Amino acid sequence: MPTYLLRRLGQSVLTVFLTLTAVFLLVRLAPGDPAAAYAAPTASAEELVRIRGQFGLDRPLLVQYGIYLRDLVSGDLGTSYSFHSPAFDVVMDRLPYTITLAVSAIAVTVLVAVPLGVWMARRADTRRELGANILTITGQSMPDFWTGVMLLTGFAVVIPVLPASGFTSWGGLVLPTITVAILQFALVSRLVRREMTTALAAPYTTVARSRGVAERALVWRYALGNSAVPLVTAVGTRFAALLNGVVVVEVVFAWPGVGSLVVRALETRDYPLIQATVLITASLAILVQLLVDLLYPLLDPRVRLGKAA
Amino acid sequence: MTTAGIPTARTGGRPSAVTARDLARATATRRRSANRVKLWAGSVCTALVVLPILLAQLLPLPDANDQELGARRLPPLTEGHLFGTDQLGRDLLSRVLHGGQVSLTVGVLAVVVSGLIGIAAGAAAGYFGGWMDAVVSRVLEAQLALPLLMMLLLVVALFGSSVTVITAVIAVAQWPEVARLTRSLVLVEREKPYVAAARVLGLRGLTILARHVVPNVVRPVSLVVLLLLAQAVLLESALSYLGAGPERPFATWGRIISDGQDYLTTSWWLITLPGLVIALLVVGVNLLGDALRDGGGRTSRTKAAKADGGTA
Amino acid sequence: MTSDAALDPYTPGISRRGLLRWGALGGGSLALGGPLAACAGPTGLPGPGTLTLGLTRSLVSLDNKLNQFDAAVTVQRAVRQALTTLGPGLKPRLVLADRFEMTEPTAWTVRLRKGVRYADGSPVTVEDVDTALRMYGKVNGSFLLGLFPELPEVEKTADARTFRLRTERPVPILDRLMANIHITPADANKPEELQSGLGSGPYRVARANSGAGEYTLARNPRYWGPKPPLETVRVRYVPEESSRVVALRSGELDVVDTLSPDAAEQLTGLPGVSLERGDGVRVCQLFYNFRKPKNHPLSDPRVRQALAYAIDGEALLRDVLADSASPLRGVVPTNLDGAVETGSFTHDPARARALLRRHGADNLRLTFMWESGEFAGDASVMEAVADMLGDVGVRVTLKQFQPGGDILKWRQGRGGDWDVIGNGFPSPTGLALTCLQGMYAGTAEKERTREAFMGYVFPKIADGIEEASVEVDDAERQRKLAAVQKAIWDTWPALWGFVPKTLLARRGRVRDVGLLPTNSYDLTAVHLEG
Repeated sequence: MPTYLLRRLGQSVLTVFLTLTAVFLLVRLAPGDPAAAYAAPTASAEELVRIRGQFGLDRPLLVQYGIYLRDLVSGDLGTSYSFHSPAFDVVMDRLPYTITLAVSAIAVTVLVAVPLGVWMARRADTRRELGANILTITGQSMPDFWTGVMLLTGFAVVIPVLPASGFTSWGGLVLPTITVAILQFALVSRLVRREMTTALAAPYTTVARSRGVAERALVWRYALGNSAVPLVTAVGTRFAALLNGVVVVEVVFAWPGVGSLVVRALETRDYPLIQATVLITASLAILVQLLVDLLYPLLDPRVRLGKAA
Repeated sequence: MTTAGIPTARTGGRPSAVTARDLARATATRRRSANRVKLWAGSVCTALVVLPILLAQLLPLPDANDQELGARRLPPLTEGHLFGTDQLGRDLLSRVLHGGQVSLTVGVLAVVVSGLIGIAAGAAAGYFGGWMDAVVSRVLEAQLALPLLMMLLLVVALFGSSVTVITAVIAVAQWPEVARLTRSLVLVEREKPYVAAARVLGLRGLTILARHVVPNVVRPVSLVVLLLLAQAVLLESALSYLGAGPERPFATWGRIISDGQDYLTTSWWLITLPGLVIALLVVGVNLLGDALRDGGGRTSRTKAAKADGGTA
Repeated sequence: MTSDAALDPYTPGISRRGLLRWGALGGGSLALGGPLAACAGPTGLPGPGTLTLGLTRSLVSLDNKLNQFDAAVTVQRAVRQALTTLGPGLKPRLVLADRFEMTEPTAWTVRLRKGVRYADGSPVTVEDVDTALRMYGKVNGSFLLGLFPELPEVEKTADARTFRLRTERPVPILDRLMANIHITPADANKPEELQSGLGSGPYRVARANSGAGEYTLARNPRYWGPKPPLETVRVRYVPEESSRVVALRSGELDVVDTLSPDAAEQLTGLPGVSLERGDGVRVCQLFYNFRKPKNHPLSDPRVRQALAYAIDGEALLRDVLADSASPLRGVVPTNLDGAVETGSFTHDPARARALLRRHGADNLRLTFMWESGEFAGDASVMEAVADMLGDVGVRVTLKQFQPGGDILKWRQGRGGDWDVIGNGFPSPTGLALTCLQGMYAGTAEKERTREAFMGYVFPKIADGIEEASVEVDDAERQRKLAAVQKAIWDTWPALWGFVPKTLLARRGRVRDVGLLPTNSYDLTAVHLEG
């Protein structure tokens, strides 16, 4: 177990490192000049050179990379150009909002999609199941920015019951949550349905039923319990993806999360902020994946971590 | 779960107690009919969008870039504009259809490219294993951890937003799914006797992979690719929405919506109608892909089984 | 909150943030409570004494050294003050100073108002002014610094409150320029954007999340002036225009500024919403590229003029800009101090066609470029203009840059060839001179580093502007300015131009938003009804 954990952590660090290196190179190769975005449009060429020097962008790429790694090791993610404060702090100012949205969207997804999937499994291949299936596919097929704008129009303009933007009250969470969750319903409910159909047809279910186990326990404890591993994997992966920022939904709802921060950082060519955002969200996403892996033995005692399957 | 009863007596001309009603209620039948519904619904939705897009040049529509500032933001069904006009008085239907040509081209090309990359990388990783598998798997994992849309925006900024770049970018975003599937299929295929036979015959690894293994996995993979097309169309519109679409005055779906968003409360049709068209197409493609994957896979397997039985 | 916390508003914010940070990393539960800690009520609607502003751009700090945009000034001035400010009619008004006079051509005598003090009770001193000037001078890339021909030196006098601002050459507009230098306690001032918020203004920072651009300002109990009518001001950052419109409709926001024409149109006539519009100080032009080779048609002013006839400015203003801009009748907005009318753009496509043919410029192919968000409705204006030029046989390619892209490189002629740029230029001083210096005063020397605005280099014009800028006599200065503007107009620098109006929408309960042409307003005058 500890060796497994160590190896997984090592892999994760490697992944994050590769990702960071790619981002480091990409942002610097992309056209656009952070100094020009930082300075006033009237700034002189000489001033731009000074600003580039101030940002350390006048050095060779390799030297910049070395300095970046050195600072990274000592926990310094650099100073955001546009916020004039540590990039780490800026991301942390926004991360709670992204986590809040991700948690609530995943919670809604699970609360709706799991019972729906179970229901679909028990009514497998009926017309009603087909209807539910098509409905969730439709949800998944709508562009998220469009769904968002439509919900916005519906519930903030036509029937103004919910706030349109930002997070100043719990009501503000409703529309973005629904917009994100609609995309996930299809995936999760179909997974649950598939796993449950298999489980309900498995011999152990027949045995349990013949021994008089109540149907409710049969479905929710036995069958769903055995579907837990793939379900948790899928939900975990979706959650990790949400942490990386639901850029579009955040833009539509003026949600002050990491996704809209990234768009802004790109617009100002704020290298340290872009790098810090990627580092923090990628690490979080990988951490979530790792936690999911570690959950397997708890969910299914047959799983032994570190043993080849 | 079986519905067939035990044949106790011969009823009618059938040598079995399974009545036509039983057959109709059987899971397999119902599944097949559900698939047929999906197939039909999917085809209809897709055709409803794709056909007009393909025929956009032949339809009696005003040019997509023909402005008429006097006739701006006309509601649908006025003055011969079925979908109304946009903020510069251009015919919205024509823009949606011509925009669809761009969006669809990008989607189809992207899927083809991502399919090719994905199959090549996945097959190599699955067949050769070792360091090649390690590299591919690590890259797949890293891509999962990346904020995808942000990276796409970055790359588009890097190379400029032309149709080619956007196609490439979406292809790169989508290859992991194909690669993962191909890899798992090849892993299974690799252990089959025909591969061992080929090896015994002295064929080289690459030849076996390309000539014998890949053709056996292409079909299931290609069915998944259809589902990717739906995602590609959505991704393209999201990119355009965030401003990284092809050069103006190319109309793309995302851009029409993002331009129209400023008129949210006064001109509902500017975003509602293009959005509906996208949703209709993507629902169609998704249903079609679903039906083909569930149904198509099975029939091909039964056909294959029959063929095997015939030769044996 | 303790009284200590009230004095230094940032300390509690940081510790809460630190806590939140671990909460965020640890799990969802703490994080869920986090953002909402700053919430008003369950409905999201602001309370009776609270004014909520929705800004288009993120206010990253309450300092203006590097962070100067119109609406930010409104908020920044509520916390930090300058010696003067620009009031109605763009005339300078005294704030922290009660005397600000030119006593010699190169020196102004200034006296600090009696009793002016910061939110912590300490007095505003001459030392603070001196430090502030030096700190602004050390910041790289500041827009404000570019407005100053030179930064003045502070000379102390025998009187503790009186000092002189001395310059090498006459700066007749120093009283306006000093409105941009915000005064902070000397020992807390640094040559960078300040993150802490101690100032002498009527409000102090109660809560700040600069990452999300959200601030809560509370009344400064020790304010030296009359008590402001509003108890609390909340500042939010709402980037999407459609979201701001919806939020204003529903009453989540009280004031949204810098509206686009379309948003204004949507909000017109809605119950409970009022619009305020006025002439702005920004000029938007489709400016020609003046770096074309000598034999290129665009190097001929007659061709530049001929192309201008193709543009139907009236239709653009009415249909595309929805009457939210005024036609440009000069080379800078004519409401600026010192600006004169020099001519107007007329629409005559037949003439455009004939003139183009006569000057051998038919079958022109032009590239237009602009950056998204350069002005409201930019993409629509460019698409419409391209269409109009198409009608006279000029083929136009549009090149749209995303913010942060390479447009500067292109502007300087290092990115690629282009012909016309959509560009906006503000004059935050309210003076024609600021615009003229920024756009038309290019010299051969500046052009060596590609700093002349779009390559516009006309030595005579540059000299004329320079002469006017150091002229101490008011009437003489106006005369010189008028002459140079006429000369500029005759070079046909732009294909078309307009002056966007400042547009602000407010809820009915918000009163006395005295929107200035600089697109900012005085928060202390605003009050809420009911």
